[in-house]
Formats: sequence, structure tokens, C-alpha cells
Amino acid sequence: MTQPKEIFVLTDRCVGCRTCTIACAVAHSTSKTLFGAVAETPRPKSRIYVEWAAPAHKVPMVCRHCEDAPCMHACISGAIRRTDDGVVITDTDKCIGCWTCVMVCPYGMIGRDLERHKAYRCDRCPDRDIPACVAACPTGALVYQTVPAYAADVRRHASGEMVKGKGS
Amino acid sequence: MDSAEAYVIVGGSAAGMAAAQAIRERDPAAGITVLSEEADAPYFRPLIPYLVSGRKQAREMTLAGSGPYTGRDIQVWTEARVTAVDCKGQRVTLADGRQLGYGKVLFATGSRPFLPPEIKGTDTEGVFALRTLADARRMAKRAEATRRAVMLGGGLLNLKAAFALLERGIRVTLVVFSPEVLSQLMDPSDALLIRHALDRAGLEIRTGTAARQIVGDESGVCAVGLDNGDEIACQMVCIGKGVRPNVDFLAGSGIRIGEGIVADRFTACNQPNTFAAGDVAVTHEPVSGRPIMTALWTNAVEMGRCAGFNMAGLPTAYTGTFGILNATQVADMPFVAMGTVHTEGVDLEIHRHASAEAYRKLVFDTDGKHLVGAVLVGDITNAGIYRYLIREKRDITTVKRQIVNHQLHYGHLLPI
Amino acid sequence: MAVTDDILEKSIDPTVHQMLARARELGLETVWDRYEKMLPECGFGELGVCCRNCNMGPCRISPFEDQGPQRGICGATADIIVARNLIRMIAGGAAAHSDHGRDLAHTLLLTAEGKGGGYEIKDEAKLATLAKEYGIATENRTKEEIALDLAKAVYAEFGRQEGFVQFTRRAPAKRVAQWQKMGIDPRGIDREIVEIMHRTHIGVDNDPVNLILQGLKASIADGWGGSMIATEISDVLFGTPTPVRSVANLGVLKADEVNIVAHGHEPVLSEMILAAAADPELVAKAKSLGAKGINVVGMCCTGNEIIMRHGIPLAGNFLQQELAVITGAVEAMIVDVQCIMPSLGSLCECFHTRFISTSYKAKFPGAIHIQFNEEKALDIAKQIVKVAVENYPRRVQDKVCIPDEKTECMVGFSTEAVIKALGGTLDPLLEAIKSGAVRGIAGVVGCNNPKIKHDHGHVALVRELIKNNVLVVTTGCNAIACAKVGLMLPEAAADAGEGLRGVCQALGVPPVLHMGSCVDISRILATCAAVANALGVDISDLPVAGAAPEWMSEKAVSIGAYVVSSGIFTVLGTVPPVLGGPVVTDVLTRGAEDVVGAVFAVETDPVKGAALMIAHIDKKRAALGI
Repeated sequence: MTQPKEIFVLTDRCVGCRTCTIACAVAHSTSKTLFGAVAETPRPKSRIYVEWAAPAHKVPMVCRHCEDAPCMHACISGAIRRTDDGVVITDTDKCIGCWTCVMVCPYGMIGRDLERHKAYRCDRCPDRDIPACVAACPTGALVYQTVPAYAADVRRHASGEMVKGKGS
Repeated sequence: MDSAEAYVIVGGSAAGMAAAQAIRERDPAAGITVLSEEADAPYFRPLIPYLVSGRKQAREMTLAGSGPYTGRDIQVWTEARVTAVDCKGQRVTLADGRQLGYGKVLFATGSRPFLPPEIKGTDTEGVFALRTLADARRMAKRAEATRRAVMLGGGLLNLKAAFALLERGIRVTLVVFSPEVLSQLMDPSDALLIRHALDRAGLEIRTGTAARQIVGDESGVCAVGLDNGDEIACQMVCIGKGVRPNVDFLAGSGIRIGEGIVADRFTACNQPNTFAAGDVAVTHEPVSGRPIMTALWTNAVEMGRCAGFNMAGLPTAYTGTFGILNATQVADMPFVAMGTVHTEGVDLEIHRHASAEAYRKLVFDTDGKHLVGAVLVGDITNAGIYRYLIREKRDITTVKRQIVNHQLHYGHLLPI
Repeated sequence: MAVTDDILEKSIDPTVHQMLARARELGLETVWDRYEKMLPECGFGELGVCCRNCNMGPCRISPFEDQGPQRGICGATADIIVARNLIRMIAGGAAAHSDHGRDLAHTLLLTAEGKGGGYEIKDEAKLATLAKEYGIATENRTKEEIALDLAKAVYAEFGRQEGFVQFTRRAPAKRVAQWQKMGIDPRGIDREIVEIMHRTHIGVDNDPVNLILQGLKASIADGWGGSMIATEISDVLFGTPTPVRSVANLGVLKADEVNIVAHGHEPVLSEMILAAAADPELVAKAKSLGAKGINVVGMCCTGNEIIMRHGIPLAGNFLQQELAVITGAVEAMIVDVQCIMPSLGSLCECFHTRFISTSYKAKFPGAIHIQFNEEKALDIAKQIVKVAVENYPRRVQDKVCIPDEKTECMVGFSTEAVIKALGGTLDPLLEAIKSGAVRGIAGVVGCNNPKIKHDHGHVALVRELIKNNVLVVTTGCNAIACAKVGLMLPEAAADAGEGLRGVCQALGVPPVLHMGSCVDISRILATCAAVANALGVDISDLPVAGAAPEWMSEKAVSIGAYVVSSGIFTVLGTVPPVLGGPVVTDVLTRGAEDVVGAVFAVETDPVKGAALMIAHIDKKRAALGI
């Protein structure tokens, strides 16, 4: 079974420029351009967030599309399901805006669309090859890879570090 | 014995179907039979007010195939009420006399509306306790001939039903015994913003009053008499005065019953191969450890899923549930209430902040290091993180300021 | 309302604690709230590697070599972008000071022509000294005739194309020679600023060092040009400051008087407001409306100007401007130019306070604009004060919350006043320096910045310096911070090291001398020049150091540049946006030594910053053999 790709966050690469949030909002707008997006009502919303953790940490956060998603089980109208690609999506037609998903998400990743009274969250950009945020990040803080490939990269780097220590 | 099944689930709502889904995830081939006393196939019970308002059709509420309920080959028997359980012989008996043997059985029969005996006339036509899809259909039909409805009880279910009726142009009066609506979910002072939203939406609310009797004529309900002597003319009465667990069928079974069916940390009952989950079960509150019963969809799903894993051979401890764990939107005001929310006269550390658009109350225990409850009205951002902190009993000293100022986000919890 | 820990962390000033708690109670947003909402700030901006100078961009250079663009679209490297951005900041700051000086020169011109609506020439002695510097005859001429020629000569400095800026020649000959050698002796004030704008246009100067040199040049035209002109002409028109006692902090607002806050920078306005507020008719009007009188207080640099010359109470520094409004006791916040927050408009609307703008160059949302005009100065000032007085009945008494705190201070230490305090010559000071009683002199200046705990950067640094026998001269928001904590009282000498204490007690002066507003840093330059000339050395040989512990404005960048260009080591307390350019950073912190005989250091911890300054002072002492 092919593994789906996840969005990994390298917090030490984030400079807090928030380009990801702009790209995400634009990707979820009607016009799909920045200049068009800022003129739209309602204003398109970003599904990725860049938060500040003192004293000096800039932390981009996005829906993890959990395998055993708490939001999916908690939804009282069955609007949230996990696709075969491993993407947890909220069906806006079924969503009744009760916000139970907001209450159970341990990351705070579900947003509230005030105008439509619906929950929204990252949909992994189904119409794109690479999610908009990942494509937009200028420092490579967002990485779009499968878990095995990502873990392999980390191992490669870590093993190099371990060997250095041994003076080989 | 008529037939037997490896996994038998008594009750086809949240807990029962969540358990069935969990079993199917663990065991793709096992035989699972769900016995529901209702005529309708399992559905999302919280959606039924939308049937009354006309905003959704019954078929949009079907559970199978929606959300996480994608498991195949789960047999569901409708109109199959269980009347007795033989724990030694490991079989259940249905109302029509059929019997079904079980390898493992889950009791997920839920609860039924409580009709206070001190209110006279609750059997009059046009009096509803909204619980099932069938109730909703009858209410929707009655609504066609209703100009004014009286709701007895200021809880969440009645509020949702009230809005459903308001949408149909019916004048609605809420009769609430407590000093304020949603008394089960928060203190009166916490509910102010919500109360304003309800008033703005056109709901008439009378607090500090109870109904004494329901008056009927040849067309059914025609008035409600209150304890202060007033009489309100109406054509529909909706009672939302709490629920009672459905445990009658377990008489003589040997299953231990307290306030509800007693289940241990692994959702097991006191007889071999028996389990309980959902509204019918007594579980425990994670912060205090006290026994607790809840009537919430989210909790029932969580417990049912846990029970399913236990039944399928994966021991899963249930972390307990908050008695209060509610999130919803009434009028245009969303709110979330969780954990210990009743703080009048209680020795706890409380932080409140009120503004024109939002209200929050954060409750810490006496050492000030643990969050034990939260009420968020208007701005419910990141509510899930609060739930996590309460449940995990996390020492929140380093992020207390962010919690009090509602600026907490997940980044604060990362170990960096 | 409760002062919570997070409020205590924001400032050392108890009035700020009280007013932030009050702001929270009223649900009012302050600069600190907006700062927190802005976090995290964009790292490209922080590093100085964001360029918006042309429409091929905007460009940003990634700080990670393996990822992201490493050059701008035109080909600019990070250093080029950082250098361009830095000198544009200098241009902005130098322009602000230049305009300030220009306005003073213009006011002198009008006054000399008899068209100044209420201005006078107060310091004839200084007028004569300045005239001599410009080669203007003074024998048997009226002060108006001299002033006219001086005004024209000074005015001409701004538009000069070739030659030199007169006041630069006050610096020691060695210093001027070094400037000339490095090609940074400015030709005229506005020209150098314009050239910065030209050079930083796309496709002009793409050499980071060349760019920085132009930045230094323009800054010298500020410090020894625009700012110095502002100081000197202000002294001529309004009097050279002499020691005077006063009070500082929000407690100077009065519960039973019409409170007028003069905020901004130019004494051209604030002096007239003062005069107008003394008008018997207006005072009578105030009394008829129930007030005991009219209470004019200052904030920021215009506050420094009027406290230095008239002992007018100072309500607070930069970060306190919103808090003054939040006391609910201010009838009018009158502003001209620079460091005025645009949030004041909507904030004043939450109270009865009238937010009055007076400069056509500085208009604000929510402000009433009463255009100030030098030719009708006093009349317009009276009009403005009248608006304030008539506003008194609209004060909502139960919304008033004035903190108790106000601290006495002794200010007014112009160079002339310092020399007078020393007995008429610099010799006592030079002796004290030689003997080591005064280890050295530190000029600690600059703004507030919510990145640093308010006033902590200023006060902790200054305390550390005086404890180590370094005499501190100060201006701007730092001066206000020191005044508020009592460091400007002669009694504060008790907190100084033994040597400094002795000198201060002998002279009856505080260990921290208030020299005025930010343009008055030119007084510090003039004093250093005088000391250097007396000792026969260059300014870069002196045991002196500078610091801006909480700086934020572009003016501060220009100031830092001209102080370093004058040969004075300077410590910055907030990180400037240059770290994305390693070459630029190296030039500023190391290479500048060879160019101007001084460098910058960046140190956010004020005590460590003081240590750097003291080490530098000791090094210079050793080199001088003292």
C-alpha cells in the first residue's frame, strides 16, 4: 500500500514570514490569486497557522490528518471522514457548525468559518501536486514526504552525526 | 437457541455503532450483529432537531457510510428490542421471542427521556420528549398545526429543538426551573452572552418557574399551567428534563447496576464476556475519579470505541469522561463547556473575562497548577487544547498566563 | 484592577503597571498588545534581507544556504540589500532631524524679519557666538540684523551643494581630516540624504562598504548639521538651558486642572503653547469652568525641550504616550512631528481627550487639525489652548485614574551650563578624568521599545555606569527614564562610585546630567569636541562611550551612525536589522575602527552593555596614559 505523504514541520527553519498562510488562503480562494483573494468576500482563510512560543520559537502548525482522528469520532453529524489517501476532510454540507471537532482537536487546527457557520481545516490541497504551503515556504521549513522517507532522511543525518562523534 | 453471533451489540446508536466499527477495524472477518429497538436504521441522533425544522432529511442522518462508519458487513436488526439476558448461557432474548447467542455482548442501550411524574398530563397528544427519529417525525407533523410551543427545561437539547421550531415560524417559550438556561453546563453568570443571543433570536425565556400540568382538549395539548399560577396557551409541549438509563432488560441477569450499568476501566461488566458503554454505563470522571454518567454523543462514541477494542481482544483502558463536555452553537453564539464548570461557592481558582463578543471562565484547582474546567463563549479557538490539559492533568504553571488570556496554542506545549 | 505578572514584566515603571492594568480593565489596546500580536516578527525583516526597492520584487534572501533564494532578482546579495536598507534608515532619521533644524532656522528667519508671531531672540550671547562662527559681523548691529544674516547662513546649509557644513568644523582637526580622508565630510545637509536615496535605487550603488560610507556621511550632516542647528537655534530663540528643578512621570497630571500634553519634537510649537497657557484670559476661562488652572506637561522630546528651559513637568517617555490618555485626565494631546503613535486618535475617542495635530506634515486618523503657523504662532497657540480649556467640563470624573508617581529631578545641563557648573572652564572635569575620579563619560540616549522591558534597559545600564564612576550625560527617552527613577537628583550621587560621587557632591550636580532632547545629542558632540580640543586629541581618543539601550526609530540609526562616525564606541540594546549581511555586520562591529576610529556593539543585556562601555573607556584611558 503506498504511503501517503505528510507535511512535516522543521521549526528551526521557520523565520515567521507567514508566506505559508498567505499561500494557503490564496489556494482556498475563488480567484486563486493573491490580488483577487484580498478583494473577495468572505476573505479566504488560511488553514495553516504560525504561532510564537517564547522566547524565540516560531512554530508553523497544520492539521496532522491523524490516523485515529479525534475529530472524526467526535463529529455528531458524521461530516468528518478519512479518505484512502489518508486525508481527514470535513464535508461542509454535512457540517452543522457545532464545534465539537474544535473542542476535541488536541492541536487547535480546526477553524470556524464565521460567515458560513461551518468548520474548516487543511484539506492537503487535493487539486495540487504539492500543498500550497509547502510550495511557498522560502526556507524549507515545511517538508512534504512520506513517513518512511522522512524518517530515512533523519536517520541519514543522525547517523552522520553519530559517526562524527566516534572519530571515524 | 435461534442463532449465535461472535459479537452482539445491544443498542444501535453512538456507543453501539462506534463499538461495531472498532471491532470491524480490528477483525475484518468477524460476525457482528447490532440489535436496535428502533425502526430506523442507526442515525446521528444529535441531528434530529433538523428534521423538525425541515433543514435536513432523515436520509442525510444515516450513520452507516458516514464519517468513520465505513466498516462492512455489520448486521443491524431493527425493531429488535432485547427483553432479557442470560449471562450463564450467553444469550439474549428479544421481544418477539427470538434468541441470539453471543461470544461477547455489549450493552449500549442508551437512555430514555425522563418525564417528571409531578407534571400532570404528559401523556396528552402533542407532548414530546425529543429522543428518536420517530419522535422527530411526529413533532414535525404536529408543528404544522402549532402556533406556539412551550419547552420545559433549559438544557441543550431543548434549545436545539426550540430553534428548530423557531425556524418554522412557531412562537416558542422556554420554561426553566433554574435561574438561567444551560444550568447543567455552566453557572448562571457564565450563560449571560448566550442568554442575550437567545433573547435576540426571539426565544421567550421564563426562569425560576416549573410546569405543574399540561392541559389538553380534543385536538391535544392546548395549554401549560405553571407553578406560579400562569397558564400559557400552546399546541405543543417539549420536555427536556434529563434522561434515565435503559437498564430494565437486565433484570435478573446478574449484571451489576448502580445508577446505570457498572463498567470497569476496560468497559467490562461483572459477568464474563459482557461490556457496557454509552449513556447506559456508569464510568468515571478523569480529574476527580468520581463515578459519572454522561449523555453526550462524543463521550458515547469514545466509550463505545473503547469497548469495541476490548471486545476484539485489544485491552484498552477508558480514560474516563468529563461530565461536562459540550460544544455547540445556539443562535449565533458558539460555546464550549468542559470539566468542572459549576463554581459558585466552590473553593477553586477562577479566572473570568467578559467582553461584548466573548466570555471565558477558566477554572484551576486550589494549588493553581492544574486546569480543571473551562467555559468558552463566542471565541472557542483552540478549545481542544484545553480539553487535553484538563484530561491529562497537566501541570500548566508555565503556560498559565496564556491560558488565562486565551492565547494558548499548541506551540506552547512543544518541548522546545 | 490587578497588576498581573505579565504586566510587571513589561516595565519597571509603577505608573505603567497601574495604567496597563487600567487599560485591560477598560478593554483598551496598547502598543504592548500590538507587539504581542505581531509575534513572531518576520525573520527576513529582522535580518534586513527583505528588499522592496523595485517592482521586480519584493525579494527576500533565505538565511539558509541550502534552501531558498540567495540573491535578489537584480543580483543583489544579502549584504547589498542589508546595506541599502540600513542607509535608507539613516536617510529617514537624518531627514527628520534635518527638517527639525530647517524649521528652527525658518523660525529664526521670520523672527529676525519681525514676522515671528510671538517669538523673540532670548540668548543674544549665543547669537553672537554663532554669528562669529559663520563669519557674520556683530559690531554695532541689532540682534535682528545679526539674526537675519545667521538665519540665512544656516538656512543655506540645507541646500548647499558644495563645500562643507559649518558646524562640522567644531570637531577636532584630526577628526575632520579623517572624514575628508574617507570621503565622508558632508557637502550639505539635504544633498547627502538625497544621495542615499539615489544610491539605494535599483542598479546604482551595489558595494556594501561604499553604501555604508554614504550613510555615515549623511549622518554626520545630521549630527553636526541638522541636529546641531536645531539645538543652537533653539537656544538662541528660547534660551540656552540652565539648571532647573522639575518633576517627571504621569503623576504630574492634575486632577483639578486643565491638563495639556505637548507631545512631539519641535519647541517652536511647545514654547508657544506654554506662553498661551499663561494667558490670563485663558486661565480665567479655565477657572470659570471649574479648573484650578492650566497644567501643561510634556512628553518625549518636546517635553525634554520645555523641561530643560522652563522646568515644565514631564509626563513620560515614548511608550507612555497612550497611557497618558488612558488616565482620562487629559483635555488635549497636542502633537507636531515624530514618535507620535497613530493609535492615539481612536484611543482619545474613548475619552474626552482632544487629539490635536498641528503640522501639515503629520496628520493622524481621529485628530483635529489646527494648522500651526509661525507667523501667527501665539494666536494659534491660544486657539489650541482654548480648545483644551473648553474641553474641561467634558472630563468624566469617574473615568479618571492618575497614578500617584512623580519624581523630582534637576535638569538643564547644556554644555554652557556644565561649564558654568565647573566654574567657567572644563579644567575641573579634565582633572577629574585624569585623576580617575571620573573614569570617563557616557552618553546614554534613545527611545523605548517593547522588545526591551520598558526603562529597564536605560536605568540598569546607567546605574551600572555610575556605580563604576562613569559620568552619564543623557537625552531623549533615556533622560526621561533616569529622571523618573530619581537618578537626576544630586542625592543620586550616593548610588555612584566613590570618585564620581565626590565630584558630583562637590559640584552639587547629579551623576546623570540631562542634556536635552534627541537633537541635543549635538550638545554631547560639542562637549566631546571641546574636551578633545582642550586635551589636544581626537574624539576617538577620549574615554567616552555611547549607548542606545532601547532604540527603535530611524532617527536612532542616524544618531548611532554619527556618534560612531565622530569616534565614539556605541552599544545598541536592540538588535539592528543587519545580521543577514555578514560583511555589513563586520564593518559595523569591527571594520569601522579603521574608517572612523570607533565601532558598534550589540548587547541586549544592559549590565553587560555597561561592561562593554567601561572596558572601552579603560582602554582609552590606558592609551592616554591616565
